[in-house]
Amino acid sequence: GLSPQALVDDTEDVSLDFGSEEELALRKARIRHPLATFFHLFFRVSGIVTYLFCDWFSNSFVSCFVTILLLLSFDFWSVKNVTGRLLVGLHWWNQIDEDGKSHWVFEAKRVPTIAASTEAEARIFWFGLIICPVIWTMFFFSTLFSLKLKWLALVIAGISLQTANLYGYIHCKLGGQKASRETSRLFGTADVPKRQSRRISEDGTEEHGKTGTR
Amino acid sequence: FPGLADVSISQDIPVEGEITVPVGSHSPDEDYSTLDEPVKDTIMRDLKAVGKKFVHVMYPRKSSALLRDWDLWGPLVLCVSLALMLQGGSADSKDDGGPQFAEVFVIIWFGAVVITLNSKLLGGTISFFQSLCVLGYCVLPLTVAMLVCRLVLLAGSGTVSFIIRLIVVGAMFGWSTLASTAFLADSQPPNRKALVVYPIFLFYFVISWMILTFTPQ
Repeated sequence: GLSPQALVDDTEDVSLDFGSEEELALRKARIRHPLATFFHLFFRVSGIVTYLFCDWFSNSFVSCFVTILLLLSFDFWSVKNVTGRLLVGLHWWNQIDEDGKSHWVFEAKRVPTIAASTEAEARIFWFGLIICPVIWTMFFFSTLFSLKLKWLALVIAGISLQTANLYGYIHCKLGGQKASRETSRLFGTADVPKRQSRRISEDGTEEHGKTGTR
Repeated sequence: FPGLADVSISQDIPVEGEITVPVGSHSPDEDYSTLDEPVKDTIMRDLKAVGKKFVHVMYPRKSSALLRDWDLWGPLVLCVSLALMLQGGSADSKDDGGPQFAEVFVIIWFGAVVITLNSKLLGGTISFFQSLCVLGYCVLPLTVAMLVCRLVLLAGSGTVSFIIRLIVVGAMFGWSTLASTAFLADSQPPNRKALVVYPIFLFYFVISWMILTFTPQ
């Protein structure tokens, strides 16, 4: 609504406070986290490119293997811990409580903030997340049928790491949607909890709830 | 209170209102601090956690860090360094030690997965990734042994060097096995401990054998 100053006098010069210029630029920008977007795609695409063109870079199998493995690991870590949170507001992790029971927690941020993600970022995120495991699966079959079996270990590692992230984020997304449907049914749209999360224990029991820690 | 004595409710009056229970404090600033912490902080935190676990392996005690805050970075680094040090032992230099490198990798990870599945089938309470974490981190003594062996082999490869390597590898093998059983055996029912320890023994024995029989060309 209008700030109180605007109602004082029609002839007065009034400055309405829209927030600082940076915030305004941030709200208008189509990509609010350029660095995160870049790194989300950088490690995955570099891994694939290195795998395809490793013969051009180096004769050594070992250095290619180690390079691709490191790229895949950095990609897994950055997508899981950084770009997911920044680009789509989702986060998943494993927590072990005092009894030694292991829980998988899937969290979805629901209240948009000023620096929250845009649609372009979300589209880039999901595109990168889905297409790369598909490409690595194609590599798996091409390696298998061309009998270049020494690369098989690497391709399997790539598929596992990227599919793990894909699976985790899909779980977060579905959990958030399911919980938001239940929430609108129970509370109407007035009292929307800030974060929805699901905890899944390793033995399969599931609990919904709001989490605070971690 | 005489006035209140006359008060009586003859019909059911619907009572409505709102009960809000504050679930922790979710101010926007706190969201930023947990979900949007600077990336450098996250990296430093994870690096420190990995370093702490390396220390806990060298001095095996009941450690919650290894068991509860598991991660697989340490095992990855150890596996890669061990595989790097073990390659170059084949006569076929054209192949660049390719198969050996991938073999070591597969042996370590596949072996660790099989042991974990075994302990879970025997009714262990420890989770899949915790077990992988412990087994991976306990490869550290053997990686040190490999380093020592390579240094000893630079000096010469006679009988004396073999005896030194045998002693070092044997000691590190014992250390690895003891460290990992210290962490893993507790999660098993008492009559199954031997069934769990035996595959771990075999796993580290195979790795020690690869280290001991390594001869550079």
